[in-house]
Amino acid sequence: MKILVCIKQVPDMESKFKIAADGRWYDNSDLVFRMNEYDEYAVEQAVRLKEQVGGELTVLSIGPDRVKETMKKALAMGCDRGVHVADDTIAAKDPMTIAGIIAEYAKDQNFSCIFTGMQSQDRGSGQVGVLLAEMLGLPAVTTIVDFAWDGDLFSVKRELEGGIKAKVTVQGPALFTCQLGLNTPRYPTLPNIMKAKKKELISLPVEQLQKTVILQETERLYFPEKKSGGLILEGEVASLADRLIGILKEKTAVLA
Amino acid sequence: MKFELTEEQNLIRDMVREFAEKEVAPSAAIRDEEERFDRALMFDRLGELGLTGIVFPEEYGGAGADYLSYAIAVEELSRVCASTGVTLSAHLSLCANPIYLFGSEEQKQQFLAPLARGEKMGAFGLTEPSAGSDAGGTKTTAVKDGDNWVLNGTKIFITNAGDAETYVVFARTDKEAQKHHGISAFIVDKGTPGFSFGKKEKKMGIRSSPTMELVFENCRIPLSQLLGEEGQGFKIAMKTLDGGRIGIASQALGIAQGALEAAVNYAKERKQFDTPIAKFQGVMFQLADMATQIEAARLLVYNAAYKASAGLSYSQASAMAKLMASETAMRVTTQAVQILGGYGYTREFPVERMMRDAKITEIYEGTSEVQRLVIGSALTR
Repeated sequence: MKILVCIKQVPDMESKFKIAADGRWYDNSDLVFRMNEYDEYAVEQAVRLKEQVGGELTVLSIGPDRVKETMKKALAMGCDRGVHVADDTIAAKDPMTIAGIIAEYAKDQNFSCIFTGMQSQDRGSGQVGVLLAEMLGLPAVTTIVDFAWDGDLFSVKRELEGGIKAKVTVQGPALFTCQLGLNTPRYPTLPNIMKAKKKELISLPVEQLQKTVILQETERLYFPEKKSGGLILEGEVASLADRLIGILKEKTAVLA
Repeated sequence: MKFELTEEQNLIRDMVREFAEKEVAPSAAIRDEEERFDRALMFDRLGELGLTGIVFPEEYGGAGADYLSYAIAVEELSRVCASTGVTLSAHLSLCANPIYLFGSEEQKQQFLAPLARGEKMGAFGLTEPSAGSDAGGTKTTAVKDGDNWVLNGTKIFITNAGDAETYVVFARTDKEAQKHHGISAFIVDKGTPGFSFGKKEKKMGIRSSPTMELVFENCRIPLSQLLGEEGQGFKIAMKTLDGGRIGIASQALGIAQGALEAAVNYAKERKQFDTPIAKFQGVMFQLADMATQIEAARLLVYNAAYKASAGLSYSQASAMAKLMASETAMRVTTQAVQILGGYGYTREFPVERMMRDAKITEIYEGTSEVQRLVIGSALTR
């Protein structure tokens, strides 16, 4: 089976974020980067499927040169080859453009199964996977927490609101976006880290794959304004109640 | 000169750190408290991750990585649990490595490969009651008798003893020869008749790593289990310890790093006089010194590891690395306890364990005094 897994490199979420000088994204300097958490579930599931059925598993990522380090982790986890789309301005691109770039690469490749994370930890749009499926004319099943392939159909469970799960079966080729709880990603073992060095990792310029103009721009990125501190009332209970009622009447619409 | 880790080395650090934080750290305090070695976690899991044979070629079950990768792995394990760090270091540097360096092809297939794959755990028996820093004073004997060597004597303070399956043991084979020349090295399997274990040591630190006596009473092993040549034992021991020092230096480095991080986190949270204590220069400057000393030690350790992988002479470099890293670990952990104050002195926080763990790094695999001897005698030769 030909399988594709799309991953994104994101900053470690424990980092201290600063707004970039142009005010449109975060400042990349002094950040430690890693694989987007949801993409780790995607890679693990893709590797398991490949181990089950054989075939070839390609990992794709878009971004500057440093994303290759994250791709190496995916290769060390079990992907067979990597396709790096070299793009130093990926952060300025909207989900439609990003999905378009991947679709342009994937359209002639006959992938039977595509995995993505359900969203990225930094942008969090949750759109690239479904847009990619649409562009390729594939069914998309989102936020999966269970996955099986019986040789004919993919059987997955989706997470819905309120703890409810939906069981979905789908004929391939299909795209799946992966949610927390799907699996426990493996550690890349040392021998596999060493073997990853010898795996194919090609780099394509983004200009070769980007066929559309960017429709959506981020105008401004900012930290939420700090709310003023709360008001603490002290004193006797009886007078506290009166004062509280007074404040609620005066400053809110809770009491008329 | 390039001060940058390769992609593989970064991946190895990330992997070992994630494993150490998720799986090793949670039980570090309780294992220390109970003086309990957890083989499944502290050794078998390392084997599954490919850490037990990091530096050996794939044909012998290894991962074919370099010494710097090994140093990083021991550092990251020791950052959360020094006992797990030394388990790997003693296994790899002291048991598997001499077999790799001095073993015959048959010995490598028979003994090294299962060690490297993590199927068997290794230990190293050199120290005796009257032969510590003076390894030439070895009194354990090995006498040839027909198809066997017959071993008699006692080894003490042996890391991994009891749980390990494979032991590299040193014994005197020639009583007439000058003290350094009459010693030979042997590979002994656990379970060999005449080979038993004495008392388990109750230690100040690295309490989750087992330390025991090895007792040999007319223990017969095949002639084929002589490691290297007869009389070559002292040289094998010294060469082995050169490598071992990289492991212990890395362990000390990891302990120091763990203590620094604990101290920084605490100092940022802990408020006195309405101010986080990290903002007081008295504390801030201490943290700055700790970080600077650790970085200096790290460069020495990585340099020694680099030289070992590049095939350069590294005896001096590893002695300097071990001396610097172990003394840094002792200093930094003591300061970390001071910064945490009363809390630091309790077992609620990890720094008192780290301080107890740090002390041994100034003692085993060559005391700080022996490291100075190694460095100083080369200078004044």
